[in-house]
Amino acid sequence: MITIAIAKGRMQDSALSLLARAGICLSEEAVNSRRLALMDETGQYRFIFVKPADVPVYVEHGIADSGVVGRDVLMESEADLLLPLDLGIARCRIVVAAVDPAAMTNVQGMIRVATKYSQIASAHFGSRGIPVEIIQLSGSVELAPALGLADMIVDLVETGRTLRENGLTVIDEIAESTGRLVVNRASYQLKAGEVARLVNALKSTL
Amino acid sequence: MRYYIGAEARLRRMVEDVAMSVFEGWNYEEVITPSVDYYDLFEQGMGQREAQRSFRFTDNDGRLLTLRPDVTSSVARMAATLLSERPRPLRFCYAAPVFRQQTQSHAEWRRENTQLGCELIGTGGKPADLEVLRLAAEILSRLNLESRYCITINNVEIFNGVAAQLSLDTPAREQLRRLIDTREADELQRFLTTYGNGETRVFAQPTQLIGKRNVIEAARRAIANQRSVAALDSLDELWTEIESLGLEDSFEIDLGDVSSLDYYTGLSLKVFVHGAGASVGRGGRYDGLTGSFGRAEPAVGFVLNLDALTEVLGRKVVQD
Repeated sequence: MITIAIAKGRMQDSALSLLARAGICLSEEAVNSRRLALMDETGQYRFIFVKPADVPVYVEHGIADSGVVGRDVLMESEADLLLPLDLGIARCRIVVAAVDPAAMTNVQGMIRVATKYSQIASAHFGSRGIPVEIIQLSGSVELAPALGLADMIVDLVETGRTLRENGLTVIDEIAESTGRLVVNRASYQLKAGEVARLVNALKSTL
Repeated sequence: MRYYIGAEARLRRMVEDVAMSVFEGWNYEEVITPSVDYYDLFEQGMGQREAQRSFRFTDNDGRLLTLRPDVTSSVARMAATLLSERPRPLRFCYAAPVFRQQTQSHAEWRRENTQLGCELIGTGGKPADLEVLRLAAEILSRLNLESRYCITINNVEIFNGVAAQLSLDTPAREQLRRLIDTREADELQRFLTTYGNGETRVFAQPTQLIGKRNVIEAARRAIANQRSVAALDSLDELWTEIESLGLEDSFEIDLGDVSSLDYYTGLSLKVFVHGAGASVGRGGRYDGLTGSFGRAEPAVGFVLNLDALTEVLGRKVVQD
């Protein structure tokens, strides 16, 4: 049996429909229940639903053999995982956005950056030698520049609508993010056959 | 920080005793190395990137000291200096705690773990490689982990030979190594479209890097450069020996194991056990190491993680 950790929220529905196309189905009743651990119809796969940032943790510790999670979360975590497949789902960009398109040169003094992604943000500015103060938030990051908490933000953008409605423009793109299949290093060896079956089944749907 | 109390401590002691008695049976002498030593030693021994994970502090005169992050560096220095006149080969074993800073996502008690390890110094080639593989297999089977463990083997020169043909700069080579190590099939394809050649198709399908002899045969069809072919030959010979010992069910070849290229020079191995979420041991050939202490000679060894083995065995007892 293979345990798959699925990131709840944005990724969940597209991940489950992709798995269904690969022949790994959850019953309607199971999906609608509020249980956080479910078996698929064949009994070969167990699903657990956890917060996105917890997917790498469950997989690295081997509690889940495998998981589906966005690249943004992986870049933010330091987990040591295998990443055999880009699933191409929940495509979005990680960007730097500000009210003033020329904020990078116009800000006086230290640039303040509000973000949920403090690792990605500090790596991005650090590699360019731009000194910034990172302000860690856990949601509604777009609000921060409008209220004067920060000069710019680092955040995920899918359509750009939230940014526009809060008067922000993209001034730099850090990376593209899509849903990834991640696999625990030990499971990859010890359950090689089952893992390869899962990878190949998913690959055939892409 | 981790306490072992009563039955757990006994189990841990038993695991240590089993390993040390197997080592002793193969004529390995126990060695106890200093817990605190100069940082320079480990930077030379492990390379800067690994040594930086050690806990560092200064001596009265300002020189940098560290809690030992591994034992191999000390043993290699000892072989090259204190024991330079002793007849070869040297066989040493140890059970010793090592200390490393861990990334955030790891439980903090893993800062300290005890290594059960051995080093075979001054003899190269297939017999030495096979000796340490048999030692590892014997310890695991004496711990009643028969059919619950898997030792993966590789020869890092297969990758090095292919990479050398591409004349990549250091960052690009590191990127290629990382993509193979994390099995990122799609990024790897993109990378190889730009930089690859006919030989790199060996690494292009990450799910096909693991297996038995078939992996070597597939690699032979793609690879022609001398360095990689020599490495494939020696892996092939080693596999034949493993088969003739009847151990092929417990071993796998993994051409994608390229996690510590700047350290190993030939054979590399990793140990996996059902019930442990990460590898419980690793090792390989490091012919370059003793040279950095002034006496270049072949060397091979491995370590098992006593704490990880104790945890797996403890849970197994509960289940049984």
